Amino acid sequence: MNRLEALERIESVTREWALVVTCGATAREMATVSRSERHLPLLDSMGLTCAVGLGVALGTTSHVGVVDGDGSLLMGFSILPTLATTRPANLTVVVLDNQQHASADGMASQAAQLDLAVACAGFGFAVDEVADGPALGRALERAVEARELRLVLARIEPGNAEGVPLLLEDPAVLASRFAAALEAPS
Amino acid sequence: MPKTSNSYLRAVADGLCDWGVEAFVYVPSSHAAPVIRDLEARGVRAVLANREEEAVGIAGGMRLAGVRAAIVMQDNGFGNALTALGTFTVAYHVGLPVVANSRGGVGEYNSMIQAISGAVPRLLEALGIPVHELSRRDPVESWRSTTSAAAELATIQHRPVVTLFDALDPAIAGAR
Repeated sequence: MNRLEALERIESVTREWALVVTCGATAREMATVSRSERHLPLLDSMGLTCAVGLGVALGTTSHVGVVDGDGSLLMGFSILPTLATTRPANLTVVVLDNQQHASADGMASQAAQLDLAVACAGFGFAVDEVADGPALGRALERAVEARELRLVLARIEPGNAEGVPLLLEDPAVLASRFAAALEAPS
Repeated sequence: MPKTSNSYLRAVADGLCDWGVEAFVYVPSSHAAPVIRDLEARGVRAVLANREEEAVGIAGGMRLAGVRAAIVMQDNGFGNALTALGTFTVAYHVGLPVVANSRGGVGEYNSMIQAISGAVPRLLEALGIPVHELSRRDPVESWRSTTSAAAELATIQHRPVVTLFDALDPAIAGAR
């Protein structure tokens, strides 16, 4: 499963969710899958995806998903104990683990040398490890049914999709649309 | 032993409550602790963050969800928070009030903190973030009204706004 396939699967299962999406190629690829107003791509805030997703989840009754990368999660790893102690039941964290900073010239991330699933499980929340699209879809459906904070660690191929354009929308417009979508009744 | 509050620190909490604060994200600080404990005692939802950029993410996310959320922290943590403030709250127009105790002035007891704390207002202003400073020159009533008005300014301008309060100055620390 490459990242684009993972994002297509995520979008197909989460059409009622609010999604906070990590920066770089992940945000750009998600924009080619869907330009939904329910998506908040963080265009340059690496390491902040889970924190923003947590804040949104604490403020809404909608189900909130975070689409993070292994590199971004490691950059903001201090959010894991905060997630574990706040535990919003309406939040699901998906970590697309390609064991590299694909948007930073493909430099290896430390995830290549450690087991992120074990590290995350160490904070006490349920972790599903998946490596293909159908398993990713089932894990996301299970996350909603479980009504508890869950983390889905999706192993994906390294690299970025070819020919994906830059995402140059005004961040203020993205935020305004996202906030309005949250306010709308589901 | 927990630090005791005084009229100035209560005025900061009063100001946030006047704004209608519903939740706050904090990074522990001994000199902001009376404000943090005061807000908790008033029933305002508190979320502990481990780093200041994390606090920006959480509180900013809450603001997008329509919650009247603020950050309470110490000013030396703005070094950690700058990129998050710039790439998220400034770029995405998130109206986020931040209140922080300032360090490095009269009453300071640590040798290493002045370089970062002294530079904080200029660092924030360089990012286009308004800064309001509260000191011994301001009557206690204006500690309350400025904190509230700065938070309201963040709300209506859809931008982060910072209020710095000097809790270490003996004229403030020794107040009742």
